[in-house]
Amino acid sequence: MEDIKAYIESGILELYVLGEISAEERLQVEAMALKHPDIKGEIDAIEASLEEYAAANAIDPSANVRERVLNSMLINLGDDRVFPDKESRQADNVITMAPTEINFYKYAFAACLALLIVSIAVLVNLYDDLRDSQSQLISLQLEKQQFTQRVNLMDTQLSVFRDSTFRFIKLKGTPKTPASVMTVAWSPVKKKVMIDMAGLNLPKNDKQHQYQLWAIVDGKPVDLGVFDATAVSADSADMKEMKPVAAPQAFAVTLEKRGGSANPTMDEMVVISNI
Amino acid sequence: MSPRAKISLSEDELILALRNREKRGAEALYTMYSSSLYGVILRIVVEETAAEDVLQETFVKIWHSFSSYSAEKGRLFTWMVNIARNLAIDKVRSKDFKNQAKNQDIENNVTFIDGQNNTVYKPELLGLRDLVQTLKPEQKAILELVYFKGYTHVEAAEELGTPLGTIKTRLRMAIQALRKNFN
Repeated sequence: MEDIKAYIESGILELYVLGEISAEERLQVEAMALKHPDIKGEIDAIEASLEEYAAANAIDPSANVRERVLNSMLINLGDDRVFPDKESRQADNVITMAPTEINFYKYAFAACLALLIVSIAVLVNLYDDLRDSQSQLISLQLEKQQFTQRVNLMDTQLSVFRDSTFRFIKLKGTPKTPASVMTVAWSPVKKKVMIDMAGLNLPKNDKQHQYQLWAIVDGKPVDLGVFDATAVSADSADMKEMKPVAAPQAFAVTLEKRGGSANPTMDEMVVISNI
Repeated sequence: MSPRAKISLSEDELILALRNREKRGAEALYTMYSSSLYGVILRIVVEETAAEDVLQETFVKIWHSFSSYSAEKGRLFTWMVNIARNLAIDKVRSKDFKNQAKNQDIENNVTFIDGQNNTVYKPELLGLRDLVQTLKPEQKAILELVYFKGYTHVEAAEELGTPLGTIKTRLRMAIQALRKNFN
């Protein structure tokens, strides 16, 4: 115990705490402290009093040092956390303003871009709609034209039936083609001759031949024109106008070579009717 | 209250946080100990900018070599203040610092001298004044030299013209007086 007391009073523990002894002595002191609680207690007391002494002599470093020191401590952590001083953060409004301004332009640019994309999409849609509408309009116009044509045709047909000067003459089949029948409309006043193509019932002619309508005037055949006995399409005229004739005694139809003949081939007469 | 009270952890909590390299550990360390360490550093280095540099070096060194601290061997502050004192002494003895001190411009001289005087007039030192009243002059001198001027006890013996053994005894007595004062 005497040894320990002498050891404590030698002053080596104070120098140990101040870090002023060689590495050998340091290890020696640490070994002693482990063995003897008194020495450990003495070291603790010296440390505590010197810490208090330093605290009593403390001087605050200037406020900006805090951030600098903390940043340099943490910089090697790969840590970009900043330690702004709380007071300066409140005082300095410029620092907080700057990033919001940058953000405004960033968001404004993003908004413009989004608007542009939406606009293009709407434009493409509208363009498609416009094209659809235009094609519909064209087909409607075509339909309308067809209807107009058809109405005009029917008007002219109707006018023929309304016209009281027209006489409707039914041409009957000859013994060669007894089933054949056709109707000719003739106006002695207007000298007009028309064939009712819808009511026509003749054997179909081939491409080398055509039917020819004749009027018998003063016992002689007069050419009134040629026509085809084919299927009647919707938009073709139902009433075919032939060459005019003033006072016929009869109408007859013969099958002639395409384009018609100067004189009728009597063998090929299909229908005839006297007036 | 001093700003040291803002973030405070117990020494054990602080040591754990520093071991885990937590950000709050670094913050608490600075808050709890920067003033005490700066008080020691500034008295050794005197010039404020250089003292701030040393304070920064001290904290960086504490942070990066914390694994070499062992709580069984002593208090955290003892370990830290020895780092601070060694770095401060290195700074004062470095060529750059000496040249800089010699080559002070005349304009800067005024502020430099003011800076030196300031350490005497700092209000923080008022506490020291009161405390030092309870110490005998020779005890006060040895503490100032060893703790705040960065002298080794050998250098202090030369400076005061006193035998080494006497210096050791005086240092012990001075610290004993401090212990009584704080208890």
